[in-house]
Amino acid sequence: MTHPVPESRLVTPDLHCAHLRHKGMYVLSTPDPGEAAHAGRWDATAYWCTRTQKASGPDGNAANAACCVAGNGRNCCH
Amino acid sequence: MKPFAYVKAANEHQALAALTRERGKVLPLAGGMDLVSLLKDHIAEPDRVVSVKGLDATITAADGGLRIGAATRLVDLHQHAVVSAQYKALAEAAAEVGTPQIRNLGTVGGNLLQRPRCWYYRNEEFACLKKGGARCFSVDGENQFHAILGGGPCHIVHPSSLAVPLIAFNAALRIVGPRGEKQVPVEEFFELPDRNLYGETMLRPDELVTHVILPPARAARSATYEVRFKQSHDWPIAFASVALQMQGSTVAEARVVLGAVAPIPWRSPAAEAVLKGQTMSDALAVKAAEAALADASPMSHNAYKVQVARTAVKRALLQAAAATA
Amino acid sequence: MADETARAEAEGQVAEVAAPATANPNSPYAWPKESRLLSTRVNRIDGTLKVAGKAKYSYDMQRPGMLYARILRSPHPHARVVSVDLGPARAMRGVKAALTIVQPGAKVMYVGDEVAAVAATSEDIARDAIRAITVRYEVLPFLATVEQALRPEAPAVFEGGNVKESQVEEEGNLQAGFAAAAHIVEQAYNTQVQTHVSLETHGCVCEWDGDKLTAWASTQAVHGTREGFATSLEIPQANVRVITEHMGGGFGSKFGPDVQGVTCAKLAREAKAPVHLLLDRREEHLASGNRPSAYARIKAGVSADGMLTAFDGETWGTGGAGAASGFPLPYIYAFPNRRRVHKDVYINAGQQRAMRAPGHPQGCFITEMLMDELADRVKMDPIEFRIRNLPPQAPNAMWREYFKIGAQRFGWDKRHATGDQAPGPIKRGMGCAANRWGGGGRGTQAQCEILPDGGVVMRCGTQDLGVGTRTLMAIITAETLGLPVSAIKVELGDSNLPFSGGSGGSTTAPAVSPAIRVTASKALQELAGRVAPALGVPADQITASDGRVHVKGDPSRGLSWADACRRLQTTPISVNGQWEAGLSASGTSGVQFAEVEVDVETGVAKVSRILCVQDCGLVVNQLAAESQCIGAMIMGVGYALYEDRILDRNTATMVNPNMEWYLVPGMSDVPAIDIMLMNQPERGVIGIGEPPTISTAAAIANAVANAIGVRVRSIPITPQKVLAALDGERAGGTL
Repeated sequence: MTHPVPESRLVTPDLHCAHLRHKGMYVLSTPDPGEAAHAGRWDATAYWCTRTQKASGPDGNAANAACCVAGNGRNCCH
Repeated sequence: MKPFAYVKAANEHQALAALTRERGKVLPLAGGMDLVSLLKDHIAEPDRVVSVKGLDATITAADGGLRIGAATRLVDLHQHAVVSAQYKALAEAAAEVGTPQIRNLGTVGGNLLQRPRCWYYRNEEFACLKKGGARCFSVDGENQFHAILGGGPCHIVHPSSLAVPLIAFNAALRIVGPRGEKQVPVEEFFELPDRNLYGETMLRPDELVTHVILPPARAARSATYEVRFKQSHDWPIAFASVALQMQGSTVAEARVVLGAVAPIPWRSPAAEAVLKGQTMSDALAVKAAEAALADASPMSHNAYKVQVARTAVKRALLQAAAATA
Repeated sequence: MADETARAEAEGQVAEVAAPATANPNSPYAWPKESRLLSTRVNRIDGTLKVAGKAKYSYDMQRPGMLYARILRSPHPHARVVSVDLGPARAMRGVKAALTIVQPGAKVMYVGDEVAAVAATSEDIARDAIRAITVRYEVLPFLATVEQALRPEAPAVFEGGNVKESQVEEEGNLQAGFAAAAHIVEQAYNTQVQTHVSLETHGCVCEWDGDKLTAWASTQAVHGTREGFATSLEIPQANVRVITEHMGGGFGSKFGPDVQGVTCAKLAREAKAPVHLLLDRREEHLASGNRPSAYARIKAGVSADGMLTAFDGETWGTGGAGAASGFPLPYIYAFPNRRRVHKDVYINAGQQRAMRAPGHPQGCFITEMLMDELADRVKMDPIEFRIRNLPPQAPNAMWREYFKIGAQRFGWDKRHATGDQAPGPIKRGMGCAANRWGGGGRGTQAQCEILPDGGVVMRCGTQDLGVGTRTLMAIITAETLGLPVSAIKVELGDSNLPFSGGSGGSTTAPAVSPAIRVTASKALQELAGRVAPALGVPADQITASDGRVHVKGDPSRGLSWADACRRLQTTPISVNGQWEAGLSASGTSGVQFAEVEVDVETGVAKVSRILCVQDCGLVVNQLAAESQCIGAMIMGVGYALYEDRILDRNTATMVNPNMEWYLVPGMSDVPAIDIMLMNQPERGVIGIGEPPTISTAAAIANAVANAIGVRVRSIPITPQKVLAALDGERAGGTL
């Protein structure tokens, strides 16, 4: 058995900044299919940046999966 | 907290000697239930703190009534045989203060002299009127627990549980100061913000409250009814203390006082007039409660307190009338 | 949660209730059919330490030469930091280190946002020193409330807009759904911002030894926090050790070092001394997370025979400065036609973090309140109405059964129709609500040592948040080795121990339990191999029970545990194992019932009793599982009646950042609590940390409506709201 990874689809090593984090990246769950499909798409994810440990990046703008992506023009991304 | 000198006073004389005339520079410490948080929150920044734990902490019979030392702990007050038998409204109020820990350390004097709990006053961020600032933040802010009677320009509510029943019993305070000693009715002790914005009482910085003088109970039937949201540690939304002199089922004389509704304990002569000479009944209690709140002028978010206070008055009256003398 | 949703969609799982995972009875490590300790009531092995005050929490850590640090926080809800002068603080006697957290030019986004920090020889000096720091701010426009942020003329405070609208989600045919409705309810609901109020605050003690950092942190993830420290400080992860021996709760808010952790480590490095930096209660309320608020405008239809036909919901909420506020809606019940759109509204307040079943209590409150309104329209009993509209029953969807058995236990037949007609001001009422949760975990490693003197050590790099994980490890090890719980030494809460994931999503028990079972079983197999020659049977014929290692089926042919271990001579057994599928599962369901007393002359509501009917697969420790339910329901009482982060609308400053005006239930506010824990041993272990808090507020809110005959569609249900609702009713409002 290989070592587990969190399988976060919100933050991926290829697309997202290496400093972006959310709780799901630290929790190893086996989702219940019923729960996972329940009540549609909704997002309560709280992100933070490891550079600042805050919900905003070093440039003061928000840190989240939508904006901390490659090619976004922010020079704080890795 | 700001550093301060600490003086331990063994008696009244030493305590008085350690005080000064300047407001806020020297503060007495008894149970510390209020003062310590004021110090930690930078609301009070005295140069010197004077321990007055050594003042009289006894309850003694005097002139047919009681003389209660200001350093008496709240737990000793509400468990006192004479207090709980003859001054029920006072015992009930004392038993409802804070938590067991607070009642085990908090004192009678401290309860009477605690500063208001207004959350704008208590949070350092708000430079409110009472702290020398330019405005009362409650006026167009979060005023759900603020005054519905007697407010302005500051809208605090009076926080002491004991002052309210003490006024119902027509008690007085013994005050000592550099000019000697005096007795002041509790009712005259507290001052509205339009008269005294930075303090809540007539006590001068160089004076001390040493005793509460309770007149004879004269078989008064009394009760305190407190409406609190949480049953555990919480402040009352409103409460009422009443003392009735009954002749049979007729109210010969009544004193009705409300707490947590106004910047001072709020005595209601209007409610007392409604009661005087009447036979106690549910309808009479309702009428008196309505009279007590007739002049209420609620703020933007505390109109509900009018109803709560009415209920407190009504229930205190019915409870007192049903109580044994 | 959200990432799980994304994954489920990617895998095409859209069935209403797909078959949940179950335990594999053929696993070589299968849970014993007849257990000695599993599912019994086992006292916490660290209970005595805790009640005696001897358990050392991160807050209690004392290190030689330790300094105390405090953080200077922004007094402004939105401002640009122009300059920070640490000079006056550094000049103070006793100050050993100081640093700037927000660099000049950067912004602070809420009152309580971190600006600078100081470490000093005492906490008092540190507190005085941060006050000596001079900061110049350029104060910027701010948003204190959701209403202010939604105004068209609101200042643009957040990059990309103050409001972020989700895509419209639509299923079925809304128009047809409403056409089929005999009754339509249109109502607005809302929930408040709740803070976590962990009794142990956030923070840590940091100590450097050369380039190696040890942090005693209050964290839900010792391994995750190690990674967080290393990444933020740009040091090797191998040089960081995070220890959490005992912990006073996190509820979803403690998954990394946070600003205060990294600040603590930096101050310790500068001062060359250990530094203690744990937050105070005000800081907890302002800056360590919260549950977002929720607002909903709903239009819903029901047919004459009590079937849901349509749901149209517009929702919004705030997770503070730039954070999401989503929640599931409609919750559980099957609306064949539905549409929903959600807006994240940003205000200048501390950001949300995951909080005990993120999103679910909000979605549950809104949906369950709506369900009662719809049931009233068709004059149907709320439980009968719910049963009609639930998804099909499944092991992870047992609401039908639970509603029935719960109703019987609770005395639901004594429930009166909406509005208590009894004379007098005290009105009583009952309400109910359902919940669902995932609660499956994986990926944990463990190590077991059996020592020649008979000692047993079980090690796992998980953490005990206060829920009884340490005891759970001891129970499973003891069960597997045939020993008493007291014979097991447990080590956890240390990133030097074998890896386990963060404790979130109710994953700890299902992630850790299988790993412990597998590892203890492997250790026993090793021991069996050592004693097999003495017993004259193959190792696979040997087991352990009642303190003996013996031939299966014949306890008389064997050795005492001590004698068996003595055969190890000088070399212990040391075995590593890990989580395997087949011993745990995911997917829980539960229902709750509440009875309340409401004083209609004061508006004061009090919960008199609550029943929780809840499953969590195989119950490891009945006592700890019940304890989780009790804690969760007390938190639910707080959510229903008391808790509210109140921001002053004119300054965006919290007026109740304490436990005096931020009301949490005390002992006298806790109702009589009854728990029916539905053991499902065939499913394996599932987590229970979150599900029992979900439905409490909804059940209470419905009970309040049942009592007073008027709905308070907003929590917390304060006297102010109750009296306003009653006034509205007297003025001719409708139920």
